[in-house]
Amino acid sequence: MTTKLNHRDCRNFAPIDVTKGICHRTKDLVLADNEQCEEFSLLPKCNNCKQFAATADAIEMGICKVSAHEPKFYAYPDMVAVTCDKYTAN
Amino acid sequence: MPKKLKEVLVEAGIPMDFESGGHSPSNLTAREVNREPHARVKKLKDIFMQTLSSANNEFPYWYTREYMLHDTEIPVVRRAMALKEAFAHSTPVIYPGELLTMRKAAFFRGSFPMPWLSEGYYMAKEDELYQDALKRGSASADEHSKFGTGGGNVTKSFGKVVSLAGKFGIRQEEVPGLLKLAKIWVGKSVDDLGHKYEQMVPDYAVKEALMRNVICMFDSGYTLPQGREVINYYYPLEYGIDGLIAMATELKAKVAGRADGDGIKGTNRLFNYEAVILSLEGLKIWISNYAKEARRLEGLEKDAVQKREYAAIGERLEWLSANKARDFRDAIQMILTIHLAVVNEDAISGMSPGRIAQVLFPYFEQDIAVGRISEDEVMELLEQYRLAISSIDCFASAGVVGGVLSGNTFNTVSIGGLTKEGKHAANRLEYLLIESGISNQMPQPTLALMYDEKLPEDFLLLGMECIKTGAGYPAFMNNQSAMTFMMNQYGAEGMTPEEARAWAIGGCLESSPCVWKPLHLNGKEYWIPGGAGQPTSVGVHFLAMPKILECVLWNGLDGRTGEKVFEPHNLKLETYDELWAQFKKYWQKAVDILALTNNIQHDIWRKNNMAVINSFLKPDCLDNGHLIDEKGYRFNATFNVESAGTITAVNSLAAIKKLVYTDKSVTLDELKKAVRDNFGFKTAKEVNSFSLSDQEKREDGPSGWDKLHFMCLQAPKYGNDEKFADEILLDWENFFCPDCRNYESLYAHTMYPCQISVSTHGAMGSATIATTDGRLAGTTFADASLSAFPGTDRNGVYALLNSAAIWDHTMSQNSQLNIKIHPTAIQGPSGSRKLLDLIQAYMRKGGFHIQFNVVDTKVLKDAQANPQNYRDLMVRVAGFTQYWVEIGKPVQDELIARTEYEGI
Repeated sequence: MTTKLNHRDCRNFAPIDVTKGICHRTKDLVLADNEQCEEFSLLPKCNNCKQFAATADAIEMGICKVSAHEPKFYAYPDMVAVTCDKYTAN
Repeated sequence: MPKKLKEVLVEAGIPMDFESGGHSPSNLTAREVNREPHARVKKLKDIFMQTLSSANNEFPYWYTREYMLHDTEIPVVRRAMALKEAFAHSTPVIYPGELLTMRKAAFFRGSFPMPWLSEGYYMAKEDELYQDALKRGSASADEHSKFGTGGGNVTKSFGKVVSLAGKFGIRQEEVPGLLKLAKIWVGKSVDDLGHKYEQMVPDYAVKEALMRNVICMFDSGYTLPQGREVINYYYPLEYGIDGLIAMATELKAKVAGRADGDGIKGTNRLFNYEAVILSLEGLKIWISNYAKEARRLEGLEKDAVQKREYAAIGERLEWLSANKARDFRDAIQMILTIHLAVVNEDAISGMSPGRIAQVLFPYFEQDIAVGRISEDEVMELLEQYRLAISSIDCFASAGVVGGVLSGNTFNTVSIGGLTKEGKHAANRLEYLLIESGISNQMPQPTLALMYDEKLPEDFLLLGMECIKTGAGYPAFMNNQSAMTFMMNQYGAEGMTPEEARAWAIGGCLESSPCVWKPLHLNGKEYWIPGGAGQPTSVGVHFLAMPKILECVLWNGLDGRTGEKVFEPHNLKLETYDELWAQFKKYWQKAVDILALTNNIQHDIWRKNNMAVINSFLKPDCLDNGHLIDEKGYRFNATFNVESAGTITAVNSLAAIKKLVYTDKSVTLDELKKAVRDNFGFKTAKEVNSFSLSDQEKREDGPSGWDKLHFMCLQAPKYGNDEKFADEILLDWENFFCPDCRNYESLYAHTMYPCQISVSTHGAMGSATIATTDGRLAGTTFADASLSAFPGTDRNGVYALLNSAAIWDHTMSQNSQLNIKIHPTAIQGPSGSRKLLDLIQAYMRKGGFHIQFNVVDTKVLKDAQANPQNYRDLMVRVAGFTQYWVEIGKPVQDELIARTEYEGI
C-alpha cells in the first residue's frame, strides 16, 4: 500500500484516465502519480475511512465494517468514496 | 529476398492493380473538406486525443455488493436493487469547459467490466494480472507517450497501469479487487450458467468445434447481450424522472396481485414495476450527484465564466433529476444521460441514438423561435455531443473488442427518411447534425442517411460534402427497401406502414424497428420516433462462409487445424451441384446448433440479467408491465443469422465451378493440394502482412503452383457485372435469406439474415487457409458483404453496383458495400454531383447500403509506417468509422489493399 499522497489522492483532481487528470485549481494537466501540491485536499477513499479495516492476508484488500453482509463485504483502500454515505474520515 | 505476390504477378504479365479508373497523383493528397470545431470543443477534443481507455471497479463493486445481499429476492427486483446501488455510487467527474456532462465511469473514456456476464477472462488471467499488479513501477510521461501508436488503447501494461483485454488500462491498485469480484461470480455469471446448460444440446461438440476453429466468431449471450438497436428517449423527455416514478408507482398498485387473464406472467408486473422504480431512483441519485459536483466546482471556481457554466450545469441537472426537459440544452443533456444509463446497464455495442434530430426538433424549433438559443450555440452543443458519444467505450473480451468491434461502439445517428405523415424528414436540425459531423469529425456518432427520393437535393449534397471530409459518414441506406423489410419482418407483430417509416439504424447498419410517440412541449404536439424493438445483435453471429466451404472440401474437417467440425459427408463432389448442396447442409447444421446454444445463453441472460432501464424506455413495457424478458417490447422478432466472408466464398465457389467443373482444367484434388500448400507461399502471419499482394513466396517450400494460382486469381470474380460469379451470389442469397426462417429464437420468432462483417473479415481471415479464389492463408476476406475483393473489380464502379444489386436486398436486414475513392476523383462541386449520382444509381437499383472511404492509399501506407503522425486520421472500416491508430494490423492491411477508384 502506498503512503505517499499524489494528485490522484486529491479532491481537486479530475481523472482523465489511469495516468493523468486535470487539476480543478490550476486547470493544468497533471500526472496522477506525481506528488501532491499545496492546493491538496484529501479525496475520500476507503483508505481514509474509519469503516475500512485492512486484512493482513491479502494484498491491498480489506473489509467495509458497515456493510450489511456477514461476513463483511470486502473493500480495498484505493476505492473512491465520494458517493458513499457511510464514509467517515479517519 | 523472397518475392511478393505482386512481383510474381507482374513478371507473369498479370499486374495486381488496386487502382481503377486511372492513376492517383504521385504526391500525398489530403482530403478536400476539413473544418475545425468551436474552440471549447477543440480543447476538450485535444484531451480526448491524449486519453487512454480506462476502467475501474466502482460500478461492478457496488452492483455485486448489493446483488449478493439479496439472494432470495425476485430476480428482476434483485437486479434493479444492484443497478440502483451501482448508479448511486458512481463518482461524478466534470471537466472544465464542458457544457454537456456525465459519463460512463470516472474517466474521460471510462468503462468497467461486468463479471456477472462473464468472469472467465479474469480468472484465466488471474496470475498474469496479479504479477502485473505487483510490479511497482512509476507511470512517467515517457511511458505514457508510448501509447501514441495505439491511440487510446492500452495495449500493454506499463508503470502502475495494467492492460485488460489489450484495450483498457486499470490501475494496479484495483487489480486485487477486480479478481475478488471475478471470483464471486464464478459459476453464477451468464457465461458460466449458459455454458452449463448449452452442453445439454445434442451435438454440442459441433458448436464447440465451430467456435474453437473460428468458424463462428462469438457468443452474444454473455459478451454483448444487447445492442444493434435504437434507444428510445421518449418517456424521460415526456414525463421526466419523477413523472415516470409516479407512473410506475400508480401502475404497480393497479396490477399488484392481479393476473388479469395471464396466469403465467400476469402477476410478474408487480415485480417489474418495482424494478423500474428502483432503477429510476438509482438514476435520480446518479444525476443528483453530478449536480452536487457541479455546485461544488462552482464554489471552488474563480473564473467568472467557468463559474457561471458550472452553476448552469448544476441547475440543469438538479432540474433533470426530477423533471422533464424545458429547452434544447435540457433535452440534449437528458438524451445523453439516458444513453449513458443504458450502456452502463449492460455490455452493449451498437446502442444507437436513432433519429435525434427528430427527437430534439421540438426544443430546437421553440428555442430558436424565441431566441433562447442560436444555431451557433446548437452547433457547439452538437459538436460536444459527438465528443461525448465518441468517449463511450464498451468493455467486452479481447476477441470481441478487437476482433469484432475494432474498439468501436456503433452509436449511429440516423438522418433523413420520412416523417410519420410520409413527408421528407430533413428538418433544419438534421442539416446542423451533418454540419457538426463535418466540423467535429469523430468516429461517433457515425451518420446513417436514410435515402429517400423525397429528400431535398441540398440536403443530399451536404451529405456529399461531409463524405469528402473522409470521415466515412454519412453512409447511405435505402429507406424504401428498409421499410419493405420492416413490414415483412414485423408485420406479424402488428407493425403498420406508418410505423415502418419510423425505422432507424441500430448499430452500424442494422435496420431496427421503431415507433412514433407524441411529445408535448408548451402545448404543441410533435410525433417523435424511437426504438421499440429488441436487440438485433443477437442470434447466430458471424458465421464464416469460406470456413464452411473449407469443411466441405475437407470432408467435415477444419482445413487449418484438421479438427473434425461436422460429420464427414464422404461425397466425391463430382459435380458443382453436389458441392453446393453439401455447402448448404453444413451451413444449416452450423446455424441450427448455434441458434440453439445461443437461445440458452440468452435465456439465462433474460432470467438473471434482464434489461430494466432499456426496457422501461422501450414501448410498450411501461404500458403492459412486462420487460424485455417477457416480450414487453413492441417488436421481438429481432434475432438473426449473421454471415461473414460472403464475397470470398462466392469467388471461391466461382473458381471451383469454372476450373474444376466447367473447364475441367484441374481436378478438385489437385486444387485442394495447391490450397493446402498455400500455392507455395508463406502464411500471412509469417509475413506479418494480411494483404494478399504483400504475401511472399516460400523459397524452400512446394513449388509448381504458380500457373494454377494465376488461374485461380483470374477465375471469374464478383464485382464486374459478369453473370458467372454474380449468379453464385444470387444463388446464395436466394438460399440464405429464406433459410433463416427455419430457425426460431427463444422468443419464438423466426430469424432473418444480417449481412455485415464489422471487423471479422480480418480475424476470421487469419484463421482460414488459402481459398480457391487465389486468396492466401491468413489474409483477410473481402470486407463487408458486397465489397469486391481488393483489385478484382476491374470493370469500373458501376459494374460493381450492378453485381451488388443482382439480388433482392429487401429479403435481408441489410447488405454492405464499401468503396474507396481517391479525394481527387470527387473534387469540387462536380465531384459531389458525380458521387451523388453514383449513390442514387445504386439506391434505384435496389441496393441497401453504400459508403465511402475518401482517402489516398499512400496516406494510409504512410500512416501505417508513421502512426505517431496520424493520431486523428479516421477511416471507414465496415459500418463504422475508426481512428486509424486504433485498428488492428490485419484490417489496416485490408484497408490499404482495397481497390482505390481514381474516377467514377
